[in-house]
Amino acid sequence: MRTLLALALRSAWNRRLTLGLTLAAVALSSLLLLGVERLRADLRASFATSVSGVDLIVGARGSPVALMLYSVFRMGEVTQNVSWASAQWLAQHPAVAWTVPVSLGDSHRGYPVLGTTTAYFDHFRYGDRRALALAEGRRFDELYEAVLGAEVAARLGYRLGQRITLAHGSGEGPGMEHGDKPFTVVGILARTGTPVDRSVHISLESMEALHLDWAGGAPIPGLSIPPALARKFDLTPKAVTAVFVGLESRAAVFGVQREVNAHRDEALMGVLPGVALDELWQLVAVAERYARLVSMLVVAVGLTGLVAVVLAGLNERRRELAILRSVGARPRDVFALLALEGGAVAALGALAGALLVAVLVLLLAPWLQAHYGLTLSGGAPSAQQWRLLAGIIGVGVLASLIPGWRAYRLSLADGMTPRL
Amino acid sequence: MRRRLLAAALLAALPLSALAQASGQGGFKIGDRLQPKSGPPERKAARFREIKWDELISPSWNPEAIIKSMNLDMMLDSDPRAIAAMERLRQEWDNAPGNPALEGADVRLPGFVVPLEREGNALREFLLVPYFGACIHVPPPPANQTVYVVAKKPAKDTATMDAVWVSGRISLYRMRTRMGAIGYRLDAELVEPYVANKP
Amino acid sequence: MTEPAVRICDLRFAWPGQAAACLDIAEFTVARGESVFVHGESGSGKSTLLALLGGVLVPQAGSVNVLGTELTRLSAGSRDRFRVDHTGFIFQQFNLIPYLSMQDNVLLPCRFSERRRQRALQRSATLADEARRLLAELDLDPSLWRRPVTQLSVGQQQRVAAARALIGEPELVIADEPTSALDAARQAAFLDLLARECAQAGATLIFVSHDSRLASHCSRAVALADLQRAAAPA
Repeated sequence: MRTLLALALRSAWNRRLTLGLTLAAVALSSLLLLGVERLRADLRASFATSVSGVDLIVGARGSPVALMLYSVFRMGEVTQNVSWASAQWLAQHPAVAWTVPVSLGDSHRGYPVLGTTTAYFDHFRYGDRRALALAEGRRFDELYEAVLGAEVAARLGYRLGQRITLAHGSGEGPGMEHGDKPFTVVGILARTGTPVDRSVHISLESMEALHLDWAGGAPIPGLSIPPALARKFDLTPKAVTAVFVGLESRAAVFGVQREVNAHRDEALMGVLPGVALDELWQLVAVAERYARLVSMLVVAVGLTGLVAVVLAGLNERRRELAILRSVGARPRDVFALLALEGGAVAALGALAGALLVAVLVLLLAPWLQAHYGLTLSGGAPSAQQWRLLAGIIGVGVLASLIPGWRAYRLSLADGMTPRL
Repeated sequence: MRRRLLAAALLAALPLSALAQASGQGGFKIGDRLQPKSGPPERKAARFREIKWDELISPSWNPEAIIKSMNLDMMLDSDPRAIAAMERLRQEWDNAPGNPALEGADVRLPGFVVPLEREGNALREFLLVPYFGACIHVPPPPANQTVYVVAKKPAKDTATMDAVWVSGRISLYRMRTRMGAIGYRLDAELVEPYVANKP
Repeated sequence: MTEPAVRICDLRFAWPGQAAACLDIAEFTVARGESVFVHGESGSGKSTLLALLGGVLVPQAGSVNVLGTELTRLSAGSRDRFRVDHTGFIFQQFNLIPYLSMQDNVLLPCRFSERRRQRALQRSATLADEARRLLAELDLDPSLWRRPVTQLSVGQQQRVAAARALIGEPELVIADEPTSALDAARQAAFLDLLARECAQAGATLIFVSHDSRLASHCSRAVALADLQRAAAPA
């Protein structure tokens, strides 16, 4: 067997140009299949660790998944708000331990602005109940103070004391800047690997002050309230986008959720983050399944190419096989030789694909982090990924039995003197 | 026996008001409960005593007086007094005392998963509820029928409304809610998928 | 008295699907240590005869006895093993495996036969040494050893093939038209070299060719046509 393996490898090396191309095909198709799986698992994990310790997310009645995506991931949008009265009701509920109201809608150079209270820094957790920590500076206290997420500060090169202006909505279009009320950076958060890193945090009062002279999404013409004067107004927010709720006892969540859903004064909705996430995955599951199916087909295409190349080369190798017969190779040795060649190329291709996945993950991770606040783990492949890799190699080895079988039949017929 | 019938009646009544029939993994329908005995447990789980959900309510709880006063058999289903009566019964059930005998016991309980915290893709903390569909369509169970589970080893491949066996040490705690109801916490050694009884 | 190297009795072989027998030989014996020239035109069935002697083919009738072993009674796998254990083959051309070095080509039989490997190691300390020794004996300059075999001339390739046939001292060497691709001047030299090496090793040589001028280099010459029983008219 060792002889045959040595012969197979030498033979493959001899035809390295053509076999190399098919190896590349197998590698790329493996990259697709393994990469899709890796992305899927890593993204799920990243989503799941973006928020921790929050029992309910309360928003206006609508889609639970949309609410969660918007309030936690700052993705998409929500059209209705929660009134301040309802937010107060929640804060005073006996079963509720803490609430963190959040308001979204503004941005700074593409990064979302989050209006909230200082309770956010106390209670918001991520990952394994990890608390937010300040890398530099302090929390916001006064009006027009901002605390930046790690990614915002790093990418835009902001330090403490930097003056920034916020924009309404996504900031596109003329006249959307809140140019008259610049903010000062007073704190920068430590990196979390979650959407927190991409956010600019200001107080709810600051958010209210920004929109004092705005109405319906645009500045009121002729009305302009300078920043200092804004302090004189009552800056209690009228509404917030959502409220994060932490309960005294986690098991009481169903009762509180029922109360929220049945609240008479306003159409509210209480969302369990864990359940909403699972719902999101169910929505995505169909797409995932198709992606995996397509990837498997592509792998099949790659392996078929390999088998075709090996088969095509068989005819010109009949003399070589005859020589091997003459020095004692049995027909089954010839079979093993060809099967080993194909199998070795398939296995190497699959492994090369797996390596490419690791490399790509390294390259993509910073970009995903910067643009979506999602983390790709650079860790070892999961059990499922090993299974997929083994599957590709297994199928490749099986497919290589075809040229092996053909060579076997040819060798039986040809013996030592092929009739070419 | 009476109490068990009552609990069964209450629980049977709730899902009747459900809107849609959704079926999840294992073909469960809303309101389905898991059969307690499902074949011999794995060796690892052998030292855990199997309990039923109504054991979580104190054996001394006796709502009979209230039921008698309702004259339920005299009313139609749609009678507003019947609905009010059900609501009152429900409140009583919500605040039923817990079963202190379970404190510190090593138990095994089947139920459905409501995820809370994940570690990567594995589930570390979740709520265990007695019937399928809780928190989706049907009125959710009271706090004394909701177990807060912390898994020692995060459970893989477990999603909302998956049916599982949870084995571990159960403990009671007083919840700081309006009525000071009792809640249960289970530190799970094992979380296993629920395999249905073979007919 | 030792067994003859080859003994064929009442051999009858027809290719599947053909009515007429390709080979029909009453008797053919080759003594040990002999060098026999078998003359045969192309298409006369000489390659078939060699395939039968190598145990690659099995006759429909008759016996093929090589070195005292009845090949027709062995299984296919045993025949393959017997072939490499006791026989060395040289073909007309394209004798060498292109992706192996000269040395590895020569050593091929030792990879498949334990017997020949042991016997080669009896002659030299390592297999590599034995291969080099044979290559040197066949006038292959050491400077050539590094070259890929595809760059050798036909004459050089044939001599490498001869080294491969001789390594590990097989008792029988069968050569099928080994000189037909060589030019006239080299042909006689090659055959002499081969016969000399076989004699030195005590091996029996069966040399098959259509060129009867080469018959003089062997101790005995037969014509395949003479061996064949005249085919009876249908």
